[in-house]
Amino acid sequence: MGISTLSEWTGQIHELVIGAGRGEGGTRSHSVRVGGERDLPYIGTPPSGHMPLVAYEIADDPALWPAAATRAVGDIADDTGAWAAYAEKECRPDLVRLSLTSTRRRGFSELSGIQQTVEAVLQATGLPLIIEGSNDPGIDSEVFLKIGEAAEGERVLLGIAEAGRYRSVAAAAMAYGHAVIAQSPIDINLAKQLNILLREIGLPPDRIAIDPYTGALGYGFEYSYSVMERIRTAALKGDTDLAMPMICSAPDSLTVKEVREAEGADADRIAVAWEYHTLLPATFAGAAIVSVRHPATVPLLKRAIASFWGGTGSGGA
Amino acid sequence: MKNIKSAVNAGNESLKTRLEGMGGSFSYDETAYHLPVTFALTGNAVNTADEAQKAFAAAGQNPLVAAECLVAQQAAATGKEPAPYTGFIPDAVLRTLGYSLVDGSILGLMLVAGTPPNPDTAAGLCRELQEKYMLTFLSGDIIRSLGSAGVKVGAEYRLVPLGSRPLSAIHFIDILARVAMMFGGVTPGDAGRLLAYAKERAKAVVIVFPGLDDEEIAVIDSFRLLGIPVLAAGDYQGDEWTRVQPGDAVRTGMELRGIKVTVTAIPIPMACSPAFEGKSIRKEEMFVEFGGGRSPAFELLRVRPAAEVEDGRVRVIGPEIDGISEGSAVPLGIIIEVAGTQMKKEYEPVLERRIHNFVNYGEGSWHVAQRDLIWIRLSREAVAKGVKIRDLGTLLAAKFRMDFPDLLDAVQVTLVTDEATVRAKREKAEAVYRERDDRIRGMRDTDVDLFYSCTLCQTFAPNHVCIITPERPALCGAISWLDGKIAYEIAPSGANQPVEKGKIIDMDRGEFEGVNRFVKKASHGEIDRCSLYSIMEYPMTCCGCFECIAVMLPEVNGFMVVNREYKGETPSGMSFSTLAGTIGGGAQTPGFAGISKGYILSDRFLQAEGGIERLVWMPAILKEELKERLLAVLKAKQRASLFDKIGDETTAETIEDLATFLAAADHPALAMKPLF
Repeated sequence: MGISTLSEWTGQIHELVIGAGRGEGGTRSHSVRVGGERDLPYIGTPPSGHMPLVAYEIADDPALWPAAATRAVGDIADDTGAWAAYAEKECRPDLVRLSLTSTRRRGFSELSGIQQTVEAVLQATGLPLIIEGSNDPGIDSEVFLKIGEAAEGERVLLGIAEAGRYRSVAAAAMAYGHAVIAQSPIDINLAKQLNILLREIGLPPDRIAIDPYTGALGYGFEYSYSVMERIRTAALKGDTDLAMPMICSAPDSLTVKEVREAEGADADRIAVAWEYHTLLPATFAGAAIVSVRHPATVPLLKRAIASFWGGTGSGGA
Repeated sequence: MKNIKSAVNAGNESLKTRLEGMGGSFSYDETAYHLPVTFALTGNAVNTADEAQKAFAAAGQNPLVAAECLVAQQAAATGKEPAPYTGFIPDAVLRTLGYSLVDGSILGLMLVAGTPPNPDTAAGLCRELQEKYMLTFLSGDIIRSLGSAGVKVGAEYRLVPLGSRPLSAIHFIDILARVAMMFGGVTPGDAGRLLAYAKERAKAVVIVFPGLDDEEIAVIDSFRLLGIPVLAAGDYQGDEWTRVQPGDAVRTGMELRGIKVTVTAIPIPMACSPAFEGKSIRKEEMFVEFGGGRSPAFELLRVRPAAEVEDGRVRVIGPEIDGISEGSAVPLGIIIEVAGTQMKKEYEPVLERRIHNFVNYGEGSWHVAQRDLIWIRLSREAVAKGVKIRDLGTLLAAKFRMDFPDLLDAVQVTLVTDEATVRAKREKAEAVYRERDDRIRGMRDTDVDLFYSCTLCQTFAPNHVCIITPERPALCGAISWLDGKIAYEIAPSGANQPVEKGKIIDMDRGEFEGVNRFVKKASHGEIDRCSLYSIMEYPMTCCGCFECIAVMLPEVNGFMVVNREYKGETPSGMSFSTLAGTIGGGAQTPGFAGISKGYILSDRFLQAEGGIERLVWMPAILKEELKERLLAVLKAKQRASLFDKIGDETTAETIEDLATFLAAADHPALAMKPLF
């Protein structure tokens, strides 16, 4: 954008690499890099660090996915592998984010199913992956072990570690060479605390992405924005425990009242607008990866980010 | 009865002879770490007898290397032992085991070797290990023994049968070595890092039954070099191994390695998390308060012999919440007694200061200040949900155990609400506080190169940084330089960090390059300069916990100090609470500083402004409290007469009165260089 740097920062955001190609023990067609910034987002010509990336989210149990997202892809949603292939071919995101929603079912026990799903997605797309596992401490240990194993060597970004339950995710990342999403509930102190916990367990800082938790536009996004700004400025001022790239998904964007109740031709337009207007500002607050669930949001966000960035990105490898 | 020392000598000899006579080539399958122990210790990949002998020499004739090579060669020559014996465990399986260790679903690694006296002993021991979340490896006759007692073995039961001979115990070390290389960032050949990892991170213990031959004794004895305690539940002679009864072996082993089954949920009807730490409880929201000058209160943490502390015990002496009327101020004594093998008396003040955080973690409880100045509130909402005074004790007992699992084995809490008892116990607590303050007396800032920081209050005051020096305690008065040093020892990534003094910028003001650098960073760039001995130029920031506030009074060319307990007005025209509201929150306010009582007695107090002679006013209670010690300080400076020249509310309530009083008393401040 041609704005020159206004402050003399001393810190730098860690660079995080996601995805490993054939030469590095994985099967991805390329890897991507985020982070590395030495200034606020979009400041400088060119801006420091890597351009923010867009991830497209898919789910292995589409019944537990927002209607606006599944409606847009139709029957493909029933075959996770096909959905991943569609993602790469039709949406062209920088990353595919697989959410293992099947683990959220009561009494879930299909561990072998997880392995098959992860393998199918790895087969179907060459893009670097983000994989989100269970959110029940009771099954975390087994679920993350399976995911970690199934994606061994692929350097995926694994989610989600939280203050009370981070050990399994971290263990899977350490055992099988992945990175971790560290999520805290819109609170800079808790974000820092979790990063310290992860450090103490032995996970290197360049394998962590901070998820500050992102509220949907009109439903608390401003809190997330403000905390992200604080995280970023703290990192630039030299707080290395907060100097990790941030990842935002706005999981509630497609389930807010306005999107749910939109009808006819408006339905898709409003769904896309809600995601777009939540996650583009997230990049202004410092998000390095934004993930969305409506396929039509992907190209819009990519174009907007690139134009703010100045037309040339350095996200791909 | 085997003598350990002579068996080790004989065993080492025999291992060496066998290794020298060894031939052929061999390797393990499904591993990237060759012969892992040898690889980790020497960095050499061994595949032949010749290479084995070289590695053995390179490792200083380490019996572990000899045993590994011999066991690997044996397996290559005669094939793996049949099921259930696992022999060498491939990397893929090991990765899962390592996963469970990091993940916390197993707490430690145990090896049981030899021949137990009977199947029941073996079964009892292994059941206990399973219940305690240990991953147990078995080698020797113990496996057959378990079989005859009907105990199932296998990785899924967390009982891994390595081999029929105790020499298979070497696999325990190849597992440890691979975990260190996979998860601990230990590079092959870096024996020092491997030893450090095994000692500090790997929670491993060996229990030995009788029936080991000399070689096996030599190999297991060398586990001790990796910091692995060897517990002998059988006839072994010598002090090298710790003798135990089979029934006590698990407990002793876990204690030796500090492995603890942890508390996870606190059984109180109130949420408890750092998320609530910054939330205050206003008067309108409060059900009851303790201390804060409205009722006598104190907190004290002491270390006691293990026999006197019953873990988790909480007692309330005096009325409970249902005997208290809403809105009242009630006396409170918090007495925490802790026990732990690692716990030292010097740690007491540091742990005691954590009461502040822990009480604030409660959704409906709030805490400020320290020692006998504490002020605690319980919210109406919390009490409506059933929170009792006892719950504060339960919270504290649990949080101390959770946050200091290595330090504390047992924590019990007594909460006293009976006024007479609180007063009596407070007097004893005050003697302890004095004793603690005395320990640091006599140390000088010039004696040390390191100061300590405290950023404990950043949850309230995000940019506040306390710099603690031998002659300037933390402004809350609760953490001295020694405490800072100890806190850093206990928690190297905690709120007290060492601060390199660095080059002197101005000795008079106490400004140091290293301190400035630290403060700039720790205040997130907000504060560039900090003088430790001046209140006029770049004073230290204030959180909200200061014992006293020092305020410049330009009209009389001096400084007044007001303490938290004093509720009246001061010559500055403001009460303590008004002043506190003005200067707190992490701001740097020239002319004002939050300080501890102890700092008033320091030679560094107001050093840049001319020292103690600038002190013109203190509340009578503070004067009384400090009298003895302050007079001693003044006498040493040949200034004993100054004490009576310091005004208080009885001699001067307003600034005009104070000016008259000081002139009459001929206070030296009046003749000093103007402050502006």
